[in-house]
Amino acid sequence: MIGSKRARGALIAVSASLGLLSAAPPALAHHSFASYAIKSQIKLSGTVTRFEWANPHVYIHLDATGRYGGIKHWLIECANPGILNRVGWKWNMIHQGDKIEVIVAPLRSGRPGALLKAIRLADGRTFSNGGPAGRATISFDD
Amino acid sequence: MTTRRVTSSSDLRRRRGSRSAEPGCPAGLGVGRVFALAACLAFAASAAAQQAAGPARPARTERQARPAERRSELIHGINGSWERYPARFSGLGSQPVDGPPPPEKIPDPPLKPEYLDKWRAHRAKVKKLTDQGLPPANNYSACLPDGMPAMMQAMFPMEVLETPGQVTVIEEAFNQVRRIYLGEKPIKPEDAEPRFEGHSVGRWDGDTLVVETVGVKNYVRFRDVPHSADMRVVERIRLVSRNFMRDDVTVTDPEYLTRPWRWTWMYKRWPGYKIQEYVCEDNRYDTAPGKGNQRLRIGD
Repeated sequence: MIGSKRARGALIAVSASLGLLSAAPPALAHHSFASYAIKSQIKLSGTVTRFEWANPHVYIHLDATGRYGGIKHWLIECANPGILNRVGWKWNMIHQGDKIEVIVAPLRSGRPGALLKAIRLADGRTFSNGGPAGRATISFDD
Repeated sequence: MTTRRVTSSSDLRRRRGSRSAEPGCPAGLGVGRVFALAACLAFAASAAAQQAAGPARPARTERQARPAERRSELIHGINGSWERYPARFSGLGSQPVDGPPPPEKIPDPPLKPEYLDKWRAHRAKVKKLTDQGLPPANNYSACLPDGMPAMMQAMFPMEVLETPGQVTVIEEAFNQVRRIYLGEKPIKPEDAEPRFEGHSVGRWDGDTLVVETVGVKNYVRFRDVPHSADMRVVERIRLVSRNFMRDDVTVTDPEYLTRPWRWTWMYKRWPGYKIQEYVCEDNRYDTAPGKGNQRLRIGD
């Protein structure tokens, strides 16, 4: 299972880092990313149950393979269609039922939401989530 | 109702019995020729629409009789798509480039002492909550547009259209449209219906578009800075070279500011970029501004 050990470690790190993240994350058009543990990234893999391509944000609903921090079903926030189009995404490149891998920063609250950092589709193509959301600091292949 | 379809600009020219360019669109324009041409085509389209709609309004007829004025309005070369410069993050604009020196950091507002303390306290509170992972809800998170002057920061690309009597700024962010009416008398603040984009009138001062804006809604605030109904935003917009443009902004407000608040935004031309739609239709952060925190809605 991809990154499961690392994921558990990261979630522990998330809990430990609450209140310690002092650097304000970049504000985006719509909202702050401060509710995410931006420095604690995890890998998830699973099946897309829904894909919302709309403003102000694109969302992937993901049934993860296994549980990470007790969470099975995730709502993964992406940038908006404009940013994603500019970094190479297409509105129809993800569908319900697709197997994907993602690198995300989970919500600091422990609720089942996360901010996307990078995505790898079943065909192997990878995409970022645009500059404002920040880079992936871990790799799909670690 | 009679309607006449016009399919091309050449069709238009034939109808007018002339093979030359539109009046005010000389073939020999040098700098900005392409943009002048684009503007002329836009004018031709608007003329065609007017023709289809029936008799011209008197004001329009008068304007058409003054081609020199039209030419002066249309050769400034600011038409087209622009992105904020310098590029801040990938995905907001095109790739970073070397260009002119970037503008200086925007200074803190010169608020009167009684307002400055409140403003600083508010900003400190927002920062503290944000650092705790609880950013307060604001206009953006409620899907409300920037309004003026913040919309001119071009968080996403913007498009500028020069047409006779008007310069239009279309921001991709929140689908904002701002119409700057040229040659009209400034609206008195007391007569201006409060709006997000306010009310803008402009004039060309040589190569500089000077715009005055009043009538911005009270809760439309750039950097949380309060303002009164007497706030005026004066902008001086001009090309610094073929592909770079600047907007020197001056905000005055006799009630809140001790002196004018000034800063500059710059833009890089993005040839061929098509502005995208931004309808804020699926907001999962729909807490009202000022009420609670930005909180992702999960579970539907």
